Amino acid sequence: MTITPDSLTERLRAWRVSPPADPAFRPQVWARLRRSAHVTWVNYLRPHAVVWLFTAIAACGVAAYTGRTAAVIRARVDREVLVSTYLVELDPRVQAGLLSIQP
Amino acid sequence: MKYLVSTLALIVLGAGIFGFVCYRLSCDSALHAAAEKRDAWHWLRQDFHLTDQQFAAIQVVHQAYAGSCVEHCRLIQEATKVRDALTAKPSSPADRVAAEVAVKELRSVCEHALTGHVQKVAALMSVEDGRRYLALMLPKIAAFDHATAPDLQMNHTH
Repeated sequence: MTITPDSLTERLRAWRVSPPADPAFRPQVWARLRRSAHVTWVNYLRPHAVVWLFTAIAACGVAAYTGRTAAVIRARVDREVLVSTYLVELDPRVQAGLLSIQP
Repeated sequence: MKYLVSTLALIVLGAGIFGFVCYRLSCDSALHAAAEKRDAWHWLRQDFHLTDQQFAAIQVVHQAYAGSCVEHCRLIQEATKVRDALTAKPSSPADRVAAEVAVKELRSVCEHALTGHVQKVAALMSVEDGRRYLALMLPKIAAFDHATAPDLQMNHTH
């Protein structure tokens, strides 16, 4: 069967959608809202436990790495200060004020 | 939504506390205390695991070196004065170059003396600590970049 463009246009123009009204729609929405109002933190976490657990582990990993790196940097800075202090006491070039002379 | 925000906040807080604990556990508090007090001797003893005998022997070596350090310091100051005096007034270029060379030579002598001294100190430590000590000291002595230590007194002499 071939439909000419004119007849398709006519058909689309005449097409009407009239879905049957769902009488339970409104009560279902209200029931869902009431249920969500009584959700506890535990009830919220339970279905998302894997995601939150993974997030917590990742956050702790990043925090541990950051903390350790900060401690390593601080130790390096402290050691630099101490080496300089130590060498200043020993180096006659510094004691004599030869600060502006570069090799 | 409120549980999402609360859970995120709890995780961030917990991770922050955990990170701080890791930082405190990884910190070398003895090293930091020595750095705050600028107590190089305490640091030397702690960081290089010196026994009482090693520490005493190193102090003896330091005292022996101190004499030559004073002498080198005096010679450098004299040579620097001569050089500065020649630079300040009209003088022959040859004299100025000679004075500059004299200062550089003394500087080189001091560098060698200090290098020899730290090698003697390293020899008194355990092999591993001695190696670590030299790895810290020798590049600084060669580069002369410890001259700008935070507590340096510019006019200090022995």
